[in-house]
Amino acid sequence: MLFFFIFPIIHTLRLSFIDPNNGLYTLNNYFAFFAKDIFYDSFFRTLKLAFFVIFFSVLLSFPLAYFICFVIHRKFRTFALLILVAPFWTSFTIRAFSWQLILSDKGFITWFINLLTGYDIKLNFLYSMKASIFGLSLFGIMLTTLLLFNSMITIDKRLLEANADLGGNKFTEIKNIILPLSMPGLIIGSVLTFIIAVGDYAVPTLLGGGFKPVLAQLMLSTIKGTYDLNTAATMALILVFVIIIACVPLLSLIKQIRFER
Amino acid sequence: MKNNSLLNNFLYLLFFFIVFVIYLPIFVMIVFSFNSSKYQIMPLRSLTIDWYYRVFNDSQYIEGLTNSLFVSVTVSLVATTLAFFCSYSLVNSNFKGKSILNLFFLTPLVVPLILIGISLRFYLSSQGYEPSLYLVTIGQSIFVMPLAILNLSNRMSQIPKNLEEAAWSLGSSRIRSIFEIVLPACKFSLIATFILTFTFAFDEFIIAYFLNNFSITLPIKIWTSLVTGFDPAINAIGTLVFLTSLTLGLTAQLLFMKK
Repeated sequence: MLFFFIFPIIHTLRLSFIDPNNGLYTLNNYFAFFAKDIFYDSFFRTLKLAFFVIFFSVLLSFPLAYFICFVIHRKFRTFALLILVAPFWTSFTIRAFSWQLILSDKGFITWFINLLTGYDIKLNFLYSMKASIFGLSLFGIMLTTLLLFNSMITIDKRLLEANADLGGNKFTEIKNIILPLSMPGLIIGSVLTFIIAVGDYAVPTLLGGGFKPVLAQLMLSTIKGTYDLNTAATMALILVFVIIIACVPLLSLIKQIRFER
Repeated sequence: MKNNSLLNNFLYLLFFFIVFVIYLPIFVMIVFSFNSSKYQIMPLRSLTIDWYYRVFNDSQYIEGLTNSLFVSVTVSLVATTLAFFCSYSLVNSNFKGKSILNLFFLTPLVVPLILIGISLRFYLSSQGYEPSLYLVTIGQSIFVMPLAILNLSNRMSQIPKNLEEAAWSLGSSRIRSIFEIVLPACKFSLIATFILTFTFAFDEFIIAYFLNNFSITLPIKIWTSLVTGFDPAINAIGTLVFLTSLTLGLTAQLLFMKK
């Protein structure tokens, strides 16, 4: 692990500080990165993408996990969870591709609408950032629902009964009991979703298209195209910094757990 | 009360809607894989299994499949074995800095695959190693190790410690107690971990893409056909891969529940 995981990262870190022309240590690679519009734009595009993905997956996972945990009958609980997260184990690339079939302008949806209404419409959805957000959000929903479910299932049902006995309604139940107690799952879920969203290459390429690249796409084209290792390493490290910042909420969580036990 | 049932109905609706959205494209892909037309346009022409024939007669798909099988079997063997011993020592020992070591083993989980791939490529080529299938094996092992450790240590922490202590006091050696007590107790978890790591390694694309030179794996072959013009056989291969990984993933999950 040390050899094949930590050393490579350190090596990349070193590469990102080396000036490609004279081999000296410098910060120029980072300045160059933020000076070029295409890099600068893609950096913020990546962040924007990730935030939308988190927003949608939390927004939808919360009711879904609540549903599986408290609404649905006990017998179907495992089944419902499995059916929702099963595609999680399958190839990301293939699922992203299958969305092309649905979303393209000659795809399934336009055909279906044409069949129903007789109108030809253009979706203009595929190969845009909206499509990337959509594809990654679906993935985020699976992940976050699974983690949220794990936290929610441990909530003591007597708390909910107490809430009802004391005259509370659904709103107070969610606000005072379920939300605070499922916070760990929510935080882990969002952080992992964020990491997947900033680092993913397949979905932005297949659904988002190549005209407005995210960081991962730029990194790959830099390596395959110009073989400029230092620039690619700089991009990789910028991604690492972003992820380290994103992991800060996780740290607070670890501390919390230690105090509680 | 009335308010409640309204909310519940809404939740039912939402759940089925999301499930529908998740499975719709896969369903459409499966339908297209039997479509005789070359173009991915509705309505369908006639039914055919030609695309499946194409996949099994295309030497590149077969080569990719063989390579993928080789890599993923090696990866899952290596990762499961290493994870078994790592988890054993993590669960059974208590020393300063254990929580740090714990975290260390899980960090690859929060590093995007593209970074694992890129940095390994940089590092190993600076050490003079050429990209090859063996490097892919190393990279993917790192990626699946945290999953394997999480699953196995979870199971191991449920084995009562006194079983092993009893064995020791009866004169059994540490190694023998591992093989005769811990190993059988983890049987299902081990098989499940093996299947799960296999599935993840088999479907993994980005690490393989970076650490490979000429020998393609199946996901790479799929990827290149996707990016360079459309080949209808993709629907067929996609269907096959999807169903295989779904079955394997579910099997692993059920085995975990069985413990």
